[in-house]
Amino acid sequence: MKFGYLLFVAEHETVDYLQLAYALALSIKNTQKPGFDQVALITENKQKLSQLTSSWVFDHVIEWNQETFWYGRSWMDELSPFENTVCLDVDMLFMQDYSHWAEYFMENCDLYVANKSYTYRGELVNSQYYRKAFAKNNLPNLYSFYTFFKKHSALSRDFFELARYIIKNPTEFSNVFLSNYKPKILGTDEAFALSASILDISDDIAYPLEFPRVVHMKPMIQNWPWPADYWSDHVGFYLSPTGQLKIGNYQQHDIVHYVEKDKINSEMVAILEEIVWKK
Amino acid sequence: MTYGILIYAHNNRTVDYALMAVISGGLAKKHLDQPVSLVTDQSTVDWMKGSKIYNRAKNVFDQIIIIEKPHTNNNRVLHDGLTSKVVPFTNVNRCSAWEHTPYTRTLLIDSDFLIFSDRLKEYWDVDQDLLIAESANDLCDISRLGYQDRYISDVGVKLNWATTVMFTKNENTQLFFNLVAYIKDNYQYFADTYRFDVKQYRNDIAFSIAKHILQGFQTSLHGLLPPILTLLDRDILHSVDENRLTVLVSSKLDSNYCLSVLKDIDIHVMNKQSIVRHSDRLLELI
Repeated sequence: MKFGYLLFVAEHETVDYLQLAYALALSIKNTQKPGFDQVALITENKQKLSQLTSSWVFDHVIEWNQETFWYGRSWMDELSPFENTVCLDVDMLFMQDYSHWAEYFMENCDLYVANKSYTYRGELVNSQYYRKAFAKNNLPNLYSFYTFFKKHSALSRDFFELARYIIKNPTEFSNVFLSNYKPKILGTDEAFALSASILDISDDIAYPLEFPRVVHMKPMIQNWPWPADYWSDHVGFYLSPTGQLKIGNYQQHDIVHYVEKDKINSEMVAILEEIVWKK
Repeated sequence: MTYGILIYAHNNRTVDYALMAVISGGLAKKHLDQPVSLVTDQSTVDWMKGSKIYNRAKNVFDQIIIIEKPHTNNNRVLHDGLTSKVVPFTNVNRCSAWEHTPYTRTLLIDSDFLIFSDRLKEYWDVDQDLLIAESANDLCDISRLGYQDRYISDVGVKLNWATTVMFTKNENTQLFFNLVAYIKDNYQYFADTYRFDVKQYRNDIAFSIAKHILQGFQTSLHGLLPPILTLLDRDILHSVDENRLTVLVSSKLDSNYCLSVLKDIDIHVMNKQSIVRHSDRLLELI
């Protein structure tokens, strides 16, 4: 299997991550070309898939429970069934075909991590509101929400091995490398940035590209003139029956990282299902 | 293809837009080497005749197109340095520029936009049907411009400035101007949808929304003219000397002014009365 998308879900008290992953997988099937629309799911509980109407959108389902919650994502290189993988956060939706970019990554990269994001108005995010640890510790501005890697690459192996070690030893790495500003939690983004920085491969895995264009809907980075707790208090989220998504007055054409998990409900899923069934 | 510049002017009891249009038109003609036409109304023409500017206008303008003065309830606060007045504001017929223009490629400019360079010349033959000024640049400091000088509303679309609009007369731009007219006629609806303040009709807002809609409800880097260098109405045009404007700029919009000199640069002078005060000197430049 040459290329595919890898999604991790974990059990959570209030958020149905499986439903989010399902919506993302549906949107991938709806928009990507055949051969670039494979999806693999890593879950702690395979049985839950029986609640989905079209669980076939997950081409591979791998049961795995050796890490708690999101720490499992640092094992993406070990768990992926694909030769070339893009690991995604599940609270995202694909809005158009990006197969040509998958081809680009396969031809040109062993490892590539997203390093910028956009507002719903298409502006490059410059705010460091959620990224103080990155700015103050001079870390590369990596976003793990879109990570491409080749499975049998030495660069990928070194990178993920170190990232896993960092995640297992957050205090030690924070004390040494994040002394200017310690984040409350050393998450995957910070671990990836530290790993790239220590291995001195930032310029190899996060150089400027026009893709991925991910609309990052964290509320404080939308260039609004006032603080916001929830973006949905201020702009609407409209999914048309044909799968066109608008946020506020803006049609979305990029990958949308909607962040607020309740945006995907049964009505949205039904729209995405109907499109995939008719395809 | 015929090229030309179009200016609208409807006088009111406070502001002599016709005089400003003669100055603005004369400067545009001089620096862009293209004919200029004026769209105005009979009462403004009568005023021009009475104030002895009409002969000058006939020399400056290729055509003086007389239309019905549109009815409007639009009012706005106009500053003249530290003082201000609420004045009527007749700006609702800019959406008719497609219909009124005698040219196939038109540069539509505001009467308070003074052209001192040939910078806009390079856009006549750009292969785009419609171009609008991308934004406004404050002469003093970006911090003086408010959020609503950059976006139509807090969460809405980016504000382009209809101070300069260039268009080719064809079906595409007819659709655009029809849409601007539709937005004007349904301003409350669009205010609700785009969350902007409805109290005063702004061409900048209607043009920005129309552009946003026609480019697929998204931001585009196409169809943009250079940002408008702007002298706010709290600032004062102090003197005019050769091609040099000396202006007083208040960085904090208070009574502390700083002297600044402009040369060979296009400028949007929002303090209209200060243009009128220096009209004799400005008319000498055209």
